[in-house]
Amino acid sequence: MIRVRPQQTKGLAPLLFLFPYLALTAVFFVYPFINAVILTFYRTNGPRSRIFIGLDNFRFLLNDQTFHTALWNTTIFAIASVCLQLPLSMALALLLNRGDDRVKGFFRLVLFSPNLVGQIFVGILFSVLFTPRYGLINRTIQALIGWGLEERWLSNPKLVMPAIILTSLWLWVGFNMVYFLAALQSVDKTLEEAARIDGANSWQVFWHVTLPSMRHVVVFVVIMSIIGSYQLFELPVALLSSTSGFGPDNSGLTVITYLRSVAFQSGDLGLGSAVGWVVAVIIFTISVIQVRITNVVED
Amino acid sequence: MIACLRLQVGSPPRQSKMIDKFPYGKAPFWLFVMAIVSSVLLVALNRSASERPDLILVTFTAAHYDAYRHAIPRFEREHHVKVDIELTHWGSLQSRLQNAILANTDVPDLVEMLEGSLGFFTRGPTVDVGLIDLTEKIRAEGIDKRVVASRFSLWTTQGRNYGIPHDVHPIMLAYRRDLIEQLGIDVRELDTWDKFVEVGRRVSKDKDGDGVIDQYMIDLPYSGNWALIALMLQRGGQLFDAKGNVAFDSEETAQVFDWYLHQTRSKDKIATDCGWAQPQMKAMADGLALFFITPDWRSKAYETDMPHLAGKMALMPMPAWTKGGRRTSVWGGTGLVITKRTKHPELAWELAKFLYFDKQELGQRYKRTNIIPPFKEAWNLPEFSEPNPFYSNQRIGLMYAELAPQTPPTYSAAVDGTARANLDQAYSRVAEYYKAQGDTGLMDKIRFELKKSADHVRELAERDQVFHRQESP
Repeated sequence: MIRVRPQQTKGLAPLLFLFPYLALTAVFFVYPFINAVILTFYRTNGPRSRIFIGLDNFRFLLNDQTFHTALWNTTIFAIASVCLQLPLSMALALLLNRGDDRVKGFFRLVLFSPNLVGQIFVGILFSVLFTPRYGLINRTIQALIGWGLEERWLSNPKLVMPAIILTSLWLWVGFNMVYFLAALQSVDKTLEEAARIDGANSWQVFWHVTLPSMRHVVVFVVIMSIIGSYQLFELPVALLSSTSGFGPDNSGLTVITYLRSVAFQSGDLGLGSAVGWVVAVIIFTISVIQVRITNVVED
Repeated sequence: MIACLRLQVGSPPRQSKMIDKFPYGKAPFWLFVMAIVSSVLLVALNRSASERPDLILVTFTAAHYDAYRHAIPRFEREHHVKVDIELTHWGSLQSRLQNAILANTDVPDLVEMLEGSLGFFTRGPTVDVGLIDLTEKIRAEGIDKRVVASRFSLWTTQGRNYGIPHDVHPIMLAYRRDLIEQLGIDVRELDTWDKFVEVGRRVSKDKDGDGVIDQYMIDLPYSGNWALIALMLQRGGQLFDAKGNVAFDSEETAQVFDWYLHQTRSKDKIATDCGWAQPQMKAMADGLALFFITPDWRSKAYETDMPHLAGKMALMPMPAWTKGGRRTSVWGGTGLVITKRTKHPELAWELAKFLYFDKQELGQRYKRTNIIPPFKEAWNLPEFSEPNPFYSNQRIGLMYAELAPQTPPTYSAAVDGTARANLDQAYSRVAEYYKAQGDTGLMDKIRFELKKSADHVRELAERDQVFHRQESP
């Protein structure tokens, strides 16, 4: 029996029930969003004093070597995420896709589990693993190739970014693998079978059948990885805690660490907002390009 | 039983009828109920919350927290007041306190701050400074004459004093006495860094022939960091001058950079980086390094973390840069400030004096922390001359206290953190140069990088001046 309710779309009641959501969105999203735009035109001392300076914050960023370093480091990390992390995740997903379900479940859990503990924990853990002379990584390298016992991963500017990338691989490879594995399991097996009957080898099947079939997931993971990379913060801060996440010669500095430094340590919320907008524009541009390229390929 | 359940199922309770009658469906009904219940709970919990104590003190070190917890009941009894003490992490305390001050929300009455942070709280326009100016009180009560003079510099800006110092933190070198004696080294002869390096080159060696050096003279961080600053201060360099101007691009700092590079990165280096906490403890226990830069607070950490080295350790004054020169430096510092929003400024001042200058408390606190208070009268207390079994029965309280008046002053500025980071970056760039080019043109490169970093910090400091310029008539 269909029960007819009174006229519930009219009157104040719907607005009343929507009010908490609208109020929270207005306070925690709309207001900060608008305020972040306004703040970029001010020099501030925390939340109290501000002086209008026009576009000076953007001019400062354009000339600030530290910001350029942060942007460069973050871009390097983003490239490494896409070029190293995702192929590795895909490879693991392909390997697991072949195993039986029990093995698949076990390894899926094992590879995903680093993600359960969070970036701060992983950062602290790896800062111990990278310890010169006594750290597990240095000892293992020394045992394998007779070199590296005293290598200072977190004090040598040239090794800091590789150390961050290595740590992030351990953290994120399993996470992205789960996406790819789910996508692989939804690929139409008859298409792959047909390609094989037509004489395609494993690589050709993957490249021409499997990968195009899961392209939407791949695009999603690539975009999310790039966005995540540009938001990198906790991991270097925990890994390079002795230098507040900056690393020697700013070698571990990311744009969000820079943002934190100028906005909350130097109290310049205006400059912090400007950094935030620059990052937002970069992420938006990359995402648009990514989607456009994918659409062109599809066409 | 089953019949009973059936009966219950068959006749729905009154509440479900009420839900059905609610005109907008079940989900809105429960949302409505949750809103009512949470509102009632909010009001009830707010009413039952205890009243604010007369004073709230926040600290960021567990050792201070424990010491104050023991001391405060006496203050409460004597003044018939209630004082709460809270422990929090410094990183979060600094930014949240400043934002709370600037946003005019509730803040603690008294706060312990870390060295270098005063500039953070006194930046921007004068009206934004949320700390009480204690200059007149300190002078009127003669406290400035009873405390180690150099320690007030940390809590002074533009000639105004906003805090009182908790400690002196003079530095000595802790060493493995047992190993040093086996090596036949007389530490009394190590009175200059030149002699120290000379001995260091002899004892830093690969003992088991595996190609890896396994005994170094001293533990120094590879990236410079705190040790570079401590050595710079000992040599007469400064991050900032007394007026808060950036001052680390000095010849003293350049000389320290040069020395530090050679001792940590050259072929005949005498130092290794033992790291922090557990790795350092392991290195100390293994004898990987023989000497360790040890301010008073760190000497207690060794005692606590490595009881198995009791009797094998000892302390000596730092070697001087020149014969007869300063035998100590300083690392760290805590001070107590009173916020402007306190309703009881006089009571807060009394508590500050009680915690920092009450002799009855200071003796016991020294025993718990090994920290030398800047209040000179306390050094005559019997606790300071007790032999310390961990350090081979040396009277380390007296040793540190004797060095305390020699500690160099350290000044604060709004860009303190930035200056430290840029000093490290300059060192890092110089180290890369040294690795590639060796000594050729090294001093010029050091001076160039120091100036470049200092100018960058000056540029950032200048941004803060925009508020002061607007204040000026």
